[in-house]
Amino acid sequence: MNLPFWGNALIPHEDKEIRCPRLGHNVSFNYCELERIDKPCAKCLDCWDCFFDVRAYFSELLSEEAFEEAFHSEPKPKIASLIELIEKAKKTLPVK
Amino acid sequence: MPTKIFLNEDEMPRQWYNIAADLPTPLPPPLHPGTHQPIGPEDLAPIFPMNLIEQEVSQERWIDIPDEVLDKYLLWRPSPLYRAHNLEKHLNCPVKIYYKNEGVSPAGSHKPNTAIPQAYYNKVFGVKRIATETGAGQWGSALSFACAQFGLEAKVYMVRISYEQKPYRRLMMNTWGATCVPSPSTETQSGRSILEQDPNSPGSLGIAISEAVEDAVTSEAMGRPMTKYALGSVLNHVMTHQSIIGLEAQKQLAKVGDYPDVIIGCAGGGSNFAGISFPYMRDKIAGKKIDILAVEPTSCPTLTKGSYLYDFGDTVRMTPLMPMHTLGHSFVPAPIHAGGLRYHGMSPLVSRLVMDGLIETRSIYQLDTFAAGVTWARTEGTISAPETNHALAAVIQEAKKAKEEGKEKTILVNWSGHGLVDMAAYDAYFQGKLRDYEMSKDEIDEALKCLDGFPRPNM
Repeated sequence: MNLPFWGNALIPHEDKEIRCPRLGHNVSFNYCELERIDKPCAKCLDCWDCFFDVRAYFSELLSEEAFEEAFHSEPKPKIASLIELIEKAKKTLPVK
Repeated sequence: MPTKIFLNEDEMPRQWYNIAADLPTPLPPPLHPGTHQPIGPEDLAPIFPMNLIEQEVSQERWIDIPDEVLDKYLLWRPSPLYRAHNLEKHLNCPVKIYYKNEGVSPAGSHKPNTAIPQAYYNKVFGVKRIATETGAGQWGSALSFACAQFGLEAKVYMVRISYEQKPYRRLMMNTWGATCVPSPSTETQSGRSILEQDPNSPGSLGIAISEAVEDAVTSEAMGRPMTKYALGSVLNHVMTHQSIIGLEAQKQLAKVGDYPDVIIGCAGGGSNFAGISFPYMRDKIAGKKIDILAVEPTSCPTLTKGSYLYDFGDTVRMTPLMPMHTLGHSFVPAPIHAGGLRYHGMSPLVSRLVMDGLIETRSIYQLDTFAAGVTWARTEGTISAPETNHALAAVIQEAKKAKEEGKEKTILVNWSGHGLVDMAAYDAYFQGKLRDYEMSKDEIDEALKCLDGFPRPNM
């Protein structure tokens, strides 16, 4: 992997925490990395950029497509995401 | 000049302001992800009462505040407008700084401004129970307080990692009678499926929202009392409820014959920012000259660590050489921008106004925000919520800018909440745990090697 400057920096240790702007308290990188279970928090690049080469890390870890989807996909409007959750929740209803 | 400017209770605004009526570019209707047709009221009916859905899509400029809501608002409203005399003296800049103190609410933040009406509208719709999600607990505690005021049950799905880290807001929720569970929980299908994959899941806001929505959608089938869902930010009706902050500020500033040149609020989901700024945005849309500044966090500082050298402004060496603080043109930082403002956690109304050029956005590095919070505490006395510190950092920047420009300015900022249950964050700051990445001299020298032989500007 052709790492740019800072590239060989290690992933921050678990005890290194930064303030999560969404939750409102400190979290470690382990949390951000899997915030969406199968993919990182969309703000990961912004939040961790100055602590290690987070961009190179995810470029290595994710396919190009998955990287784009994780960090550069157009955000879904809140109302639309709520509708999706409603539809998902309806599927958990017991069949009458 | 008084330090505190009050409104009498009978001077409290009787209507909220809905900016949707005045948007230069109307918001397009959100589309149903399945049908790609505009979302209709019935699509949202499983989780919101129809009276709130009507507000969500309303184009009415003014919406009457129900008497029952006004009565509850009187527990802390009208909130005082302060003149920050001590900070002004400390900064020694040609500015007047006013701040609206929203930390006086029972929950300690601006959030009850919408929690109270949401609880009320649910109550009159016949709802018995409200489910929601929360991170650190600011919204969960506000909704718990509001539900207690209207005799509703509150169920809060709190992100597990937050549940474990923030016991005090959880206890506030319990004190107001809410049931707060860590998410993922075993109480919903979505929570159980996450726990099956990972019993130690720390949770996330996405999971907690899924659980709260499922709780509302399935309540009837599961034999629970009629339950709806509530959201503390982002949505249009939330911005409308928060407008009471700016509407009061307008009346209070009129009492002292003042008007702001700059309005500042921190912008996470946009609600406290909208609250202070939207009533003034109406003036700005009508032609008034006001700078309206939305401030959001970034973990990373601007690149001022490098040497002051002539360098190319780009990595492909196309621009003329320019004197700058640089780490070398081969260094490519990840983009540091107002990311949250184009991210699904931001109010579409705020995003639209940013796109229309009516709101300026600014990202502020977290160390600067805590430094501002400490300056504030040591001058004005109050300890601010960490999010509020973003706005305070921008106030200090604007004050210094006014001095540099030799201009007198009046700044209005929303002091959106106190930080008395966020002292762990201040502790981390004082212990140096929030330090940015410290590049070693070797690393800096390595990055600057590409500039060997470049001319050096006169200092």
